[in-house]
Amino acid sequence: MRIVVAYKWTCDPEEATARPDGTVDWSRAKPGLSTYDPVAMELARRLAEEAGAELVGVTVGAKGVGAPIASKAALGRGLDRVVIVEDESLREAGRSELAAVVAEVIRHIGDVDLVITGDSSVDVAAKMVPTVLAGELGWPAVAEVTSVTGQAGALRVERAIPGGVQVLQISGPAVLAASADAAAPRVPGMKELLAAARKPVELLDLTALKVPPAGAVMTVTGRARPERKARKGQLIDTTDPAAAAAELVAALRAAGAL
Amino acid sequence: MSVNAWIVVADQREVGNLIAVARSLGGPVGAVVAGPRSVAETVASGGVDKVVWCHAPDDAPPEASARAVADAVAADPPRVALAGRNPAERVLLGAVAARLNAAVLTGARSVSLDGDRTTVVNAVFGDISDETVAVSGPVALLLDGGSVPPAAGPGAPIEEVTVAPLGMKVVETRTHGFETVDLNAAHRVIGVGRGVKAKEDLALIEALAEAIEAEIACSRPVAEGLNWMGKDRYIGSSGAHIAPQLYLAVGISGQLQHMVGVTGAETIVGINSDANAAIFSHTDYGLVGDLYQLVPAITAALK
Repeated sequence: MRIVVAYKWTCDPEEATARPDGTVDWSRAKPGLSTYDPVAMELARRLAEEAGAELVGVTVGAKGVGAPIASKAALGRGLDRVVIVEDESLREAGRSELAAVVAEVIRHIGDVDLVITGDSSVDVAAKMVPTVLAGELGWPAVAEVTSVTGQAGALRVERAIPGGVQVLQISGPAVLAASADAAAPRVPGMKELLAAARKPVELLDLTALKVPPAGAVMTVTGRARPERKARKGQLIDTTDPAAAAAELVAALRAAGAL
Repeated sequence: MSVNAWIVVADQREVGNLIAVARSLGGPVGAVVAGPRSVAETVASGGVDKVVWCHAPDDAPPEASARAVADAVAADPPRVALAGRNPAERVLLGAVAARLNAAVLTGARSVSLDGDRTTVVNAVFGDISDETVAVSGPVALLLDGGSVPPAAGPGAPIEEVTVAPLGMKVVETRTHGFETVDLNAAHRVIGVGRGVKAKEDLALIEALAEAIEAEIACSRPVAEGLNWMGKDRYIGSSGAHIAPQLYLAVGISGQLQHMVGVTGAETIVGINSDANAAIFSHTDYGLVGDLYQLVPAITAALK
């Protein structure tokens, strides 16, 4: 059995700011593994250990995703090897284009039985790359997955639904997007990081992958910083909690909020 | 009839906004439904021009019909395909987008057709910036589904397609015991963050919620990780987006990914012991202090 974890090396918008013209300033942001990807890696690693499967990391993106620090961060979390497409043309790529590239990488790796991803990327948070990827591969996809057990051809997958959990049996290859709390990721120690430095890293050339051209061309024609409702920003003195509470209640009643 | 916009539906009836947006584009609107027939009937009477219902075996989840859904849409390819944000709808829209080779956008504030281009104002990076994107070619949009559409007129015809499901079936369903909630319907919402130390302490919040007739919501870690509430109660970029009269954030630090879910709130109150917490740059009224003193004091002040 061969399991792929598709992950992202990117920045957190929490560390970015929008300039008045709507362009985004990332200069203070430091790239890292996308927040929920360690959860996917942990879920996949446990399944791979149980099933005796090979665990391969895949990432595609612009310059930086193939840096040693990025692959080491991924490999330190228990992947056996990583396959990376690093190409500056992917910086502005849409979800469909990224999914199409990942699909080609999965075909290149060959004999992949399962793809596991995180819940959402920390930057774009579209939650669509895994589902378009499944469409590209012709495989079923399931999101909000909380647990995976079993073997290729007989997977038992639990996923969150409104009001509970549903257990699915999946009989072929599939793409699973893990829920954010599907597993508690371990922080890799020195031993894991040293081992990571010796694991194989394969860099693929985007042009060699023969990704079909995008069917829709997106052009950004304008940017703007969204208008936010102006907030009063009033601080209520809390030295005396009862007085503070009375002041707040009076203010909210006056504002029609109560 | 050449469809201009297809709505992609799994097993949820809350598609009123999808129909409204599809209608606003002009031209015929189709819907493809991969859930129970009753959902197809709700959609058919909700103001679309035709419905394709994917009839799959009873133990097949909606996602098992992904290929059939993509086939139905590709047979009459639209300018725009739209789906709600639920997990199953995302999977179906992904299959459609792959088949149409469509551009995928998930933060649309508005969409319009200009000649052979589709223009979308799309919020990006935790809604800190709005990009206007002109797309030549098909577009797949993930949107808030809205509410259940009211029945409008006699209803569109339903074409039934028998589905050979992808290799997956439901073998068990368990309920988690949390009461489900529609936060969008609440006029007042109290958000609970990790400043609340223990699950038992939610009693303080419940008392206040009762006093102001509010629903209780939370930040992501409270629903995922701590498991104090169902996931339908967490607010944020990947959770609920709400616009109540009053949002009262208790013990919430005010990170971007939470606050984007409440930017539409009329009035925001924050209670946090850390005067430097980010929440205070988003509030109308800020109270720096111990929530264990302040929350009961507010409840008492309401009496």
